[in-house]
Amino acid sequence: MTATLIFYLLGAVALVTTALAIIQRNPVYAVIYLVKSIFALALIFYLLGAPLVAALQVIVYAGAIMVLFLFVIMMLEITPVSARKSSAPGWLSWTPVVLVALVLAVMTLLLIGLDPVAEQGIPRWHATPRDFGYALFNEYALAVKIISFQLSFAAVGAFHIGLTERRRARMEKDS
Amino acid sequence: MATLLVLILLLPLAGGVVNACFGNRLPRPVPVFIATGSVIGSFLACVGSVTAAAGDGYRLTLFTWLQSGNFTADVGLLFDPLAAVMALMVTGVASLIHLYAAGYMEEDPDQTRFFALLNLFVFAMLTIVLADNLLLLFLGWEGVGFCSYGLIGFWYSKKENADAGRKAFIVTRIGDLFFAAALLWLFALFGTIGIEVINGRAGELAGTTTVTLLALLLLLGACGKSAQLPLMTWLPDAMAGPTPVSALIHAATMVTAGVYLLCRLFPLVSLSPLAMAAIALVGVATALYAATCALAQHEIKRVLAYSTMSQVGYMFLAVGLGSVSAAMFHLITHAFFKALLFMTAGCLINLAGHENDIRRMGGMRQRSQAVFWLFSAGLVCLAGAPLTSGFFSKDLILATAFAKGDLFHQGLYGLGVLTAALTSFYCFRLAYLVFGGDFRGEELPHAPHALMLWPLLPLAVLGLGAGLLNLPHLLGGHSWLSGWLAREEDILHLSLDTEYLLVATAVGVFVLGWLAAHLRYRRFREHEPRGLRQFLLQGWNFDALFARVLVRPFRAAGRFCSHGIETGVIEGLLAGCAATCVSWGQRLRTLADGRVNHYLYGLLWGMLLIVGWFLLRAVVS
Amino acid sequence: MIVPMEHLLVLATLLFVLGFSCVLVRRNLILILIGVEIMINAVGLVFIGAAALWQQVDGQIMVLLLMAITAAEVAIALALVVHLHQRKQSIDVGLFDEMRG
Repeated sequence: MTATLIFYLLGAVALVTTALAIIQRNPVYAVIYLVKSIFALALIFYLLGAPLVAALQVIVYAGAIMVLFLFVIMMLEITPVSARKSSAPGWLSWTPVVLVALVLAVMTLLLIGLDPVAEQGIPRWHATPRDFGYALFNEYALAVKIISFQLSFAAVGAFHIGLTERRRARMEKDS
Repeated sequence: MATLLVLILLLPLAGGVVNACFGNRLPRPVPVFIATGSVIGSFLACVGSVTAAAGDGYRLTLFTWLQSGNFTADVGLLFDPLAAVMALMVTGVASLIHLYAAGYMEEDPDQTRFFALLNLFVFAMLTIVLADNLLLLFLGWEGVGFCSYGLIGFWYSKKENADAGRKAFIVTRIGDLFFAAALLWLFALFGTIGIEVINGRAGELAGTTTVTLLALLLLLGACGKSAQLPLMTWLPDAMAGPTPVSALIHAATMVTAGVYLLCRLFPLVSLSPLAMAAIALVGVATALYAATCALAQHEIKRVLAYSTMSQVGYMFLAVGLGSVSAAMFHLITHAFFKALLFMTAGCLINLAGHENDIRRMGGMRQRSQAVFWLFSAGLVCLAGAPLTSGFFSKDLILATAFAKGDLFHQGLYGLGVLTAALTSFYCFRLAYLVFGGDFRGEELPHAPHALMLWPLLPLAVLGLGAGLLNLPHLLGGHSWLSGWLAREEDILHLSLDTEYLLVATAVGVFVLGWLAAHLRYRRFREHEPRGLRQFLLQGWNFDALFARVLVRPFRAAGRFCSHGIETGVIEGLLAGCAATCVSWGQRLRTLADGRVNHYLYGLLWGMLLIVGWFLLRAVVS
Repeated sequence: MIVPMEHLLVLATLLFVLGFSCVLVRRNLILILIGVEIMINAVGLVFIGAAALWQQVDGQIMVLLLMAITAAEVAIALALVVHLHQRKQSIDVGLFDEMRG
């Protein structure tokens, strides 16, 4: 009962902070609100029996990814993007509204309206880090390797893209 | 006999091929020896085999050239009296002209090419003469066309010469088209192209329109080759070629190929009275037309070219009158004296310092007596002086026309006599302008090579004496040629009075022309070509007329096709398609506006469509 | 039972749509990336819920892999943002329309 209450509470927090995040004009505030939302989600994960994932959510998302966002924002000295008159035709400006409404309707229908399992309750259960690790490195060993490659590619790619022209030239001269 | 017959054809071919392939690598006089020797050898072979032609002639099939379905074309020779006479004339005249050309072309750097083409021409001409089927004849027909083209434009570095060659080729090609049509039609009718078979079975067609049309097609084909109205404009321009070429191709042999063709297929052609009348009419009209044109020409070779046209017109007239032997008789005598005239004209041009214009000649007798006598011999033959060959052959044609008796043929006779008067007049005009008075040019004489004079002597003798070949009974002859050609029906049986009347007319006309020329041209007077004179000088402005009636509409049609249809319709259509695609592309292009979120809209609409479809199915089921 | 699956799905849907509208509407590149993160989080929530519903650990593993991919994606994307900012001194997506047709 307490858990149920906490779930709704956390859900409300996540929704509110997310909504606040997306309406911010200043990206720093947006990131801060998003961190709050991620904390709330991490707690929900814990509540749903995924303690390790909850911890990783906090560490990886809040601790690494969001911090990366902040770094970039501060590095770039971003001036808020001013509202511009859209050059797109009139009907195009209504498109996002319609699209959002439609996606909402379709997802509601698909996930909740038509899904037979939707009415089932989520049982109290939790996966120990041991179970988790066991499954991860046995059944999903290949996926882990692929993801590792993925991460190293991303690191190289980010490094390459981040080079300025001047530094690139200098590096080419050195090598 | 077969060997000799094959040699007639093969020797000029071999000479031409050797000269064409290796001539330039041989030392200087060797190609000339090869060329001249091969033609003389061909002539000797001809003489040696002539007995075989008597009566029905001699047939020889060498090999099958083409075979397709029921179509068979052999390389076969038909050596009958007609072919024998023609072959003798061609090889004989060609031998003399080769000798002359050896002198004429002595200094020309391209003489190897010249002799190779000349030999090939003789080969092609003999192919026409000896072919036993129409396709082989057509091969020779095209061969002489090609050699004529190559030789008219022999000095191709001058544009006029190259243009003249092209003109000759294209205009004769128009005639060839009709000949080819007739050939195909004959094959369709008879299932064969053998000349003898066609002649033998021609009677099946008697009295039909088909035979008239066929004969008219053949007439048009012959007109192209023989420079008859209306395909005659190329011949005067063809004088751009070297003089031996003019003598051989454009006087003695090739231009008479049309007459030969009509004689060859005479049993077929003669079945249609209408076509015969057309042939006679074309002949006499050309004769008159060319004679009038010859009156005003300035260049000596052009005068002779028009006179050739005129004389070939007489031959056509003879064919149209149904007298093959008269046509062949005139063909042969004309070949002799016209070759003589052309080659002497070449000597005269040399003597006048390479001056072609008779207004700048005069007094040429002082420069060379020999040339004077030779040229005069040719001119009296052409003018039809009594007892020369030209007199007999022309008179035979006119008498044949007269003997037919009806009004149409009387008209033809009248026109023929008028032409004869004009011929006499322009011959003596030429003589007076060239030989009379003092030399009016500035150039120093360029003495002709001895080889350019000696071959003319036999021609002069033949020209003066060839009348004996077909001497009428009136003068104690036996009409030998008519008998040889097995055309006894061509021998006229006129009353003595009529004969004398005709002869008197011919002599009178000759004298009349001489007198008129004497009065008019005894003293040289320079005249600006104006009015009628200009009209005649331009050959009745036929070139301009054709340019206006044929060339200009053709160009206009070409321009219409190019600008109207090609540019307007086709390119317009294509450009329209392209423009439509472009405009649609431009419209669609705005969808790709580079905005990430707009692309996302597209992505999501698509996704929604797919998911919506699944949803719909789930709801329905 | 903690909560019906339905409610979790509603929460995830709402989060997803929020992130989605952020991506669609925003012109600031960083905010668009934040929208993407929100959507990925919503997906992760569904995975966790499903894992709990069927008491299978696979859903959780999926979330872990998702995180790793997100990390890679964010690294590249932010590097691109830096690069683009160097070019135009702005991160307004409207300015980067050189691929316009």
